[in-house]
Amino acid sequence: MQALRKHIHPGWFIIAPLLILVATLYLSPILNILWLSVTDPEPGFGNYAKLGESDALVRIIWTTVRICIITTIFSVTLGYSIAYAMVHCHQKQKNYMLTLLLLSFWISILVRTFSWLMLLGRNGLVNGALQDIGLIAEPIAFMRNELGVLIGMVHYMIPYAVLPLLVSMEALDKRVMDASRNLGATGTQTFWRIYLPLTLPGLVASTLLVFILSLGFYVTPAVLGGGKVLMVAEYISVQLLVTLKWGTAAMLAALMLFGVLAMLWIMSRFMKLSTVFGGAAR
Amino acid sequence: MQDKQFMKEMLTDSAHAYKDGRMDRRTFLALCGASGVAMSSVMAGDAQAAADEVVMWNWGGQSVECHGSAIGDAFTASTGKGVKFDTSGPLEGKIKEMVDSGNVTADVADADLFNAVSLGPTGHLEPIDYSVVSKEKTLPGYALEYGVSVILYGYAFVYDTEAFGDNPPQSWADFFDTAKFPGMRSLYKWANGSLEAALMADGVAGDALYPLDMDRALAKIKSIKDDSLYWGSGSEAHSMCVNGEVSMGMIWQNRGRNIETDTDGRYKLVNNQALAMPGAYIVPKGNPAGAAAMQFIATAQEVPAQLALLECLGMTPSNPAAFGEIPEDQQHYAITSAMNIDKIVYNDPTWWGENGGDAVNAFLEAIS
Repeated sequence: MQALRKHIHPGWFIIAPLLILVATLYLSPILNILWLSVTDPEPGFGNYAKLGESDALVRIIWTTVRICIITTIFSVTLGYSIAYAMVHCHQKQKNYMLTLLLLSFWISILVRTFSWLMLLGRNGLVNGALQDIGLIAEPIAFMRNELGVLIGMVHYMIPYAVLPLLVSMEALDKRVMDASRNLGATGTQTFWRIYLPLTLPGLVASTLLVFILSLGFYVTPAVLGGGKVLMVAEYISVQLLVTLKWGTAAMLAALMLFGVLAMLWIMSRFMKLSTVFGGAAR
Repeated sequence: MQDKQFMKEMLTDSAHAYKDGRMDRRTFLALCGASGVAMSSVMAGDAQAAADEVVMWNWGGQSVECHGSAIGDAFTASTGKGVKFDTSGPLEGKIKEMVDSGNVTADVADADLFNAVSLGPTGHLEPIDYSVVSKEKTLPGYALEYGVSVILYGYAFVYDTEAFGDNPPQSWADFFDTAKFPGMRSLYKWANGSLEAALMADGVAGDALYPLDMDRALAKIKSIKDDSLYWGSGSEAHSMCVNGEVSMGMIWQNRGRNIETDTDGRYKLVNNQALAMPGAYIVPKGNPAGAAAMQFIATAQEVPAQLALLECLGMTPSNPAAFGEIPEDQQHYAITSAMNIDKIVYNDPTWWGENGGDAVNAFLEAIS
């Protein structure tokens, strides 16, 4: 026992139950998925080989990645502006903005998705109003296509983009910007050369968060895409529940997992990921 | 969620134990109290009811009320057993998962007959006991080893009378003819019905549909892809019509009356070439109530239950003895009524059971 103590810090005994819990409840289901992806319907890498054989699978993955990238660009850009405005306005206005942001954050995704249909649908408020004042003759197809999916997803993702950015902007030492102006830089120069680089960890954090969450979107594409925008999450659910091709579903899930891990690894080559997740730079 | 499930199972087990005398009354009541389940039945002094029940696995919504009043009441009256509902929707994958996990909590699943073809031979279903359930009380060909059709639903379409009032569309050929009938269409997203409609539109006779010519069907589907939306649930199909997003919409035929009512008659149901789908009751392997599930199915086959399901849910009877008794005002909305039965075509559950998975994927790939 004494020898054991020497090699193992007693702290481990305290966190061991938690580690075991995480391992059994979290790692084992993931391992089960990985196992399923190489054993169902028959052992081997047949499920992964399908990626090479089927244009459709590649197209679904490409649609997913494309939509997620566009969603991320718009959410993070808009989120950056919102966070910037929040940090630089009066406390009272900031509180209003935060309340509005959190309100939309708390509303269920289903409600938010269907309200877009009411607003921008074929006979929705916007199309109705535009037609009534004679601006357009035919309703504009905002919904039931890829545009609709993007609108719904960007709207849902903005709070996720704002919150990490807000934290990172609030932590900045404002005197650095003053110093920059003092030394003769213009406002634009200060933003591009001082402010933006200093908020980069927050920017990366919100980009990662938004992109990874977007990958799993299911309800929004299913409802706003009119059935024509098929993303990986919905395809996985069909393979699990309707066509019983659990191997294909597991393969796609594993692919998403490794895709995200690979992304994190590539990021880690260029920057310290710990700063993104709130740690110190060194 | 998990907790509730656990409580339910614990209570069912303890009710069995209490009934067999392995547990005393005090402990059983304490457990009921602790779990907060079935208090009402316990208080009524009817402690055994918790054990003596059939769990019907359906799709929620109105069907709880309707299955209860149409089948449950008669079943309870004749057998003394209660009926409970699991409303999570018995999709094929969920049935497979439930049976594979060894934790079967449902007795009768309100599913499709093609599910019986795909899940039966793999050992996920109990065979139907045809000494209790009747083969005569359903359409010929719809009483299979692992499932029997109790109701029919169907794929038909509605059209916008404001767009096509003078020259209404009559058939699937008109539905797919966007030159003659301009406007958006909606089709079912999981292939079923959509493929058959496409083939009929392309000139295949209603009795020569199977085996489905997938390439031909998908080519036809793609030909109107730019003018099509696809729905995944009945409510979505409903809202696409009621909100005026489509000028013709494929719908589950039992929704027809609601759409006509909700649009004040602007959308009209066309039953010509409607595809009759056998909705079946199937029994997950190792179901808790055992043989009582078969009695439940037999009750649902009776004419009063069949007519009550039509009245309450809009599901068409599959028992030929009920066809003649469909009331006048329901005739138009029941596909096996004298008014419609000669115009409809029938789904082949065997083809769908054997090829459905690949067909759904091919369809999804074609529309996305």
